[in-house]
Amino acid sequence: MTTLMIISWRNIWRNRTRTLVIITALILGIMGGVFSAAMRLAAEEQQFEDTVENMISHIQIHHPEFIANPEAQYRIPDGEAIAGDIRGQNGIASVSARLVFDGMAASANMNAGVRIKGVDSEDEARTTKLDELLEEGSYFTEEWRLPSVIIGRALAKELLVETGSRIVLTFQDIDGGIVSSSFRVEALYAVTSRRFEERTVFVKAGVLQELAGEPGAVTEIAILLDDVDRYREATDELRAEYPGLEVRHWADMDPTLHYSLELLDQLLIYLVGIIILGVSFGLLNTILMSILERVRELGVMLSIGMKRLKVFFMVVVETTMIAILGGVAGLILSFFMIRFLNHRGVHIPGGEGLEDFGFAAVLYPDLPTSFYFEIGGVVILFAILASIYPAWKAIRLAPAEAVRQE
Amino acid sequence: MQTVIKTEGLSKTYTNTAVPVHALKDISLEFKEGEFTAIVGPSGSGKTTFLNVIGGLDKPTKGKVVIDDVDIATMKESQLFDFRLRHIGFVFQAYNLIPVLTAIENVSFIMLLQKKPKKEMEARAREMLEQVGLSDKLHERPSRLSGGQQQRVAVARALASKPDFVLADEPTANLDTKSAFNLLDIMARLNKEENITLIFSTHDQRVIDRARRVITLVDGAVDKDEHIDKD
Repeated sequence: MTTLMIISWRNIWRNRTRTLVIITALILGIMGGVFSAAMRLAAEEQQFEDTVENMISHIQIHHPEFIANPEAQYRIPDGEAIAGDIRGQNGIASVSARLVFDGMAASANMNAGVRIKGVDSEDEARTTKLDELLEEGSYFTEEWRLPSVIIGRALAKELLVETGSRIVLTFQDIDGGIVSSSFRVEALYAVTSRRFEERTVFVKAGVLQELAGEPGAVTEIAILLDDVDRYREATDELRAEYPGLEVRHWADMDPTLHYSLELLDQLLIYLVGIIILGVSFGLLNTILMSILERVRELGVMLSIGMKRLKVFFMVVVETTMIAILGGVAGLILSFFMIRFLNHRGVHIPGGEGLEDFGFAAVLYPDLPTSFYFEIGGVVILFAILASIYPAWKAIRLAPAEAVRQE
Repeated sequence: MQTVIKTEGLSKTYTNTAVPVHALKDISLEFKEGEFTAIVGPSGSGKTTFLNVIGGLDKPTKGKVVIDDVDIATMKESQLFDFRLRHIGFVFQAYNLIPVLTAIENVSFIMLLQKKPKKEMEARAREMLEQVGLSDKLHERPSRLSGGQQQRVAVARALASKPDFVLADEPTANLDTKSAFNLLDIMARLNKEENITLIFSTHDQRVIDRARRVITLVDGAVDKDEHIDKD
């Protein structure tokens, strides 16, 4: 066995240039695959974190009519009690019970249609990290005469206001009457979606409930799970528990995001698949060339009694050795490439224009360590598969003819 | 002397050609232990086919090849691999050493496949390389040896595992006169000292002159079988 390994090792260095070329191809292929995967994961995480975790949460519960008519009259009966029950269940990270409806925001100069969200500041911070999204100002800590409102950076530009400015929010109360009230802008938040920034404002739930005419009124319950991968099961469980309410998960609420993430997954599989196939065929070609160049030598081995299985094994070992050399070097270089890019960030050309759609202009690629081992395993598996044809060619040689080959 | 190889009515016809080629026709021969035999004849006379068939590298169309009371023509391929490994030494025309192995590794290779103990294997390989005058080239790879030296390593490899007989297909064809004589001296000495049966196919008069038996093939059939008394 050891001598076979030695022969295999020496064989791969018989044509140093050819071996180095295929190893380089392997390294570049792996780096390409790892880069694509890391960028895909970064894009997914960024989009998911920005859109799902900072804006819509994993699951939302509403009155069935609220989706089509987001008005205060479509409240969740016993909303606060339901939110409390859900908060106590296993697998729930946090719950934010909100009073939400559409209205108008007006400054001295401009006005705009907005969605007004009355939130419990602590629950909201736990659920959407709103407190961490502030670009300027403070998070519901000011004790002004006017109640505080936190608005998006884009809306502030549109209304020509800044922190400390006064704006008027107008909406319908639970009886359908028009209510207008002044608020002072305490902070500006920033997310990657310009549309969300322009459309959503946050005030304290108690203030809004009082203005709307019903303390404790809730129209929306946003839920963050401990394990996002359980979102479908958790949604089904809540649907069974609250059959009279509309329970939707993030993929229902933002199908575009869901499909774009699925599409990215599929594209990545195709891309990595094509890279691995390309490299495998390169490897197959290299080993096949090497076999065809030493037909006579293989003939001698078979003539003197080396079993075909050992010859087969020798060819597989040669290919695997090349794959391991290229694979390990490729993965080490990929690891440092991702570390560097994670630190520096990858600027997406034209990415600023995509921010309106929830895409970041700069991505910070990262990969779990297990991925490197997985891709290493896949490369070695494909190398072994690629070695089968050359190895089969080698063992099909007729020894008597092979030893006479020029 | 004991019979090492016996062929009975050996025929070989190649049918994968436009016209069937009768490479061997009804050959019945016996080879005794320690014989030094040259198989001679013009090109296409069937010398190499004969060696291939008695060496288990090719199957006869008809007839028997009996070695150690076993007809190897009836053996399965896997049995033949094992049989070749344990009973036959091969020397090929074009040296045919494994280029990535050193001289001593090449000589050890068959013993390695036979799973001999490492110490015994190394000692025997050294001994054989000394016998062929290459004790100073143990760790050289074939590319750093001359043609004659490479063929001496090939002879050492063939004899190292103490086979029942050695088949050599035109071993001197690529050697200059000096190297050829040197190789033949070594093979003649080993034939005597190790009592190994040597069967050559050759055109080379230098080999024929050393042989104690010369079998002439013409068109696949035995034309002459001469025993030559050298003493």
